[in-house]
Amino acid sequence: MTSPLGARIVAFLGIAALAFLVLPLLIVVPMSFSSARSLSFPPPGFSLRWYEGFFGDPRWMEALWTSLSLAFISSILAVVLGGLAAYGLRRGTFRGRDVQEGNFMAPLIVPTIIAAVAMYLGFAKANLLGTFAGLVLAHTVLSVPPVMMVLGVAIRSFDVRIEQVGWSLGGSWFYTARTVLLPNIAPSLFAAWIFAFIGSFDEVIVTSFIAGTYETIPKKMFNELILEVNPTITAVATLLMAFTILALGISAWMLRRAGKLRETLL
Amino acid sequence: MAAILAERRHGFGFVTPLLVVMLAAFNLPILYMLALGFWSKQGGFTTEHYAALFDAPIYLRVLANTLRISVVATLVNVAIGYPLAYWMRGLSPRAQFIAVACVITPFWISILVRTYAWIVVLGNNGMVNRLLQWTGLTDAPVSFLYNELGVMIGMANVLLPFLVLPLFAAMLRIDDRLMQAAASMGAPPRTIFLKVFLPLTMPALASGALLVFILCLGFYVTPAILGGGKVPMISNLLDFLINQIPRWEQASAVSTILLVVTLLIFAAYRALDRKVGA
Repeated sequence: MTSPLGARIVAFLGIAALAFLVLPLLIVVPMSFSSARSLSFPPPGFSLRWYEGFFGDPRWMEALWTSLSLAFISSILAVVLGGLAAYGLRRGTFRGRDVQEGNFMAPLIVPTIIAAVAMYLGFAKANLLGTFAGLVLAHTVLSVPPVMMVLGVAIRSFDVRIEQVGWSLGGSWFYTARTVLLPNIAPSLFAAWIFAFIGSFDEVIVTSFIAGTYETIPKKMFNELILEVNPTITAVATLLMAFTILALGISAWMLRRAGKLRETLL
Repeated sequence: MAAILAERRHGFGFVTPLLVVMLAAFNLPILYMLALGFWSKQGGFTTEHYAALFDAPIYLRVLANTLRISVVATLVNVAIGYPLAYWMRGLSPRAQFIAVACVITPFWISILVRTYAWIVVLGNNGMVNRLLQWTGLTDAPVSFLYNELGVMIGMANVLLPFLVLPLFAAMLRIDDRLMQAAASMGAPPRTIFLKVFLPLTMPALASGALLVFILCLGFYVTPAILGGGKVPMISNLLDFLINQIPRWEQASAVSTILLVVTLLIFAAYRALDRKVGA
C-alpha cells in the first residue's frame, strides 16, 4: 500500500524515531567511563573514577540501602494485597467491582504530582511525613496498578473450574491457592513483583515530597541534577539502566514462557 | 436471604486489605486536599483560595506556559510516533519484536536517567553541539538546555512510548485485505493511506494523544531538570507552594483544578478508547 519512495521515507522516519528513543540512553554508558569531569563528547579517556565515587560515598550507599529496602518491602506488599484484590475482582460477584478496580488503578491516572501534594498534606496530618512507614504506604499504593494489570490477565486466563476441582476434593481455599493457582500463575507473579520493584525503586516525585530526611537513589539524583551536574550521576544512571534491563529481560522471559507476554504488553 | 447476601458479597474479603491501605494512603489524602482548598483559615467554607489564583497573574502565566508546552510536546509526539508505529507495522515479526523492545525498554527506565541523558547529549560540549560545530552549521554552541526547547525535547522523548504502543497495537488489528481491496479498485497508495488506513487509526491516535497530553499537564521531573527553573509548569509551581513557601490552601486549589481537568480529559480518552476496542 506504500510506493517504493514512500516506503523508504517511512523506514527513515521510523529508524530516526527509534534512534531518538534509544540513542541518548546509549550515549550515557560510555560517558560513565569517562576520565573527564566535564560531559564532553567523546570522552577523552577511560576510567572507573565515577563508579568508585558512587560506591565509595557513604551517602550514596545509604540512599541505595533505603531504596532497596523500600522497594523490597513495598513491592511485596503490593503483590500480596494487589494479588488478593485482583483475585477478588476476577472471581468475586460482589457489587461495585468496576468502581473498586477504577479506584485501585487511579494512581496511574491521577498525575503523580497531585498524589504527591495530597499525600504530603494527608501524611502531615497523620504524622507520617518523613517516616519509613509513610514511604512504604505510598510506594505500595503507587505500585498496585501494574501488579493488578499483570495478575488480572493471569487470573482471568486460569480456568476457575480447575480451582473448583481442588475445593470439591476437600482442599481449603488456601491449600488450593497454594498448590493449584499459585504454581500456575508463578511467572506472572514474578513479573508483577519485578514491575512493582522497579516502579518503587525509580519513584522520585512522591518520595521527594514525603521522604523528609530519608534519601533514596532517585531523590538524591534529582536533587543533584537540579543543583549541578556531577559525572557520578552518569555512573548511577548506567547502573540503573543495567539493572532495569536485566530485570525486564528476566520478567519478559518468564511471561513469554507462560505465553502471556503479548497479552500483558499490548 | 442470607445466602443471597453472601452471594452478593462473595469475594469482597479479598479486596478489603488493599481497600483499607488505599483509603488510608490515597483516597483520604486526596479528599483532605480537596477540602483544604475550600477551608478558610478562620474556619468554614470559602472560595477565596480559588479567587486568589485568578487575581495573581503569575498563576495564569504558569497555566498558559503549561498548556503551550503540553500542546507542542503532544504534537511532536504525534509527528514522531505515527510514522514509527506505521513503519513497525510493516516489519517482519522478528524485527517487530526488536522494535517493540526498543520502545518498551525506555518506558521502564527511570525518567531521571532518560532526562539526564538529554543533558549529556544536548549540553554545550555534548554530542549534538559537537556535531553541529564540526559540520560548520554553527560557530558557537546552541543552547538546548535550560529553556523551553530542552523541556519540549525531553518531554516528547519520555512520553513517546505512551503514544506508540497503543497506536501500534491498533494498527496491527487493521485487516490488510481492506487496503488490498482498495488497491484492486485502482486506488493509488496515497489515496489508500489517506482514505482507508488513516481514518481507521484516527481513534487510536486521538486517544493516545489525549493520554500524552494528560501526562504532559502534570509533568514534573523533566521540566524541573531540563528547564533549569526557567520554565515553570503547574507541577513546579505546586512544588514551590508546598516545599518553598508553605501555602497549602493555594496548593490544594491548584491541584484540584489540575485534577478536575485531568479527569475530564481522561473521560474523553476512555470514550475514545472504547471505540478503538470495539
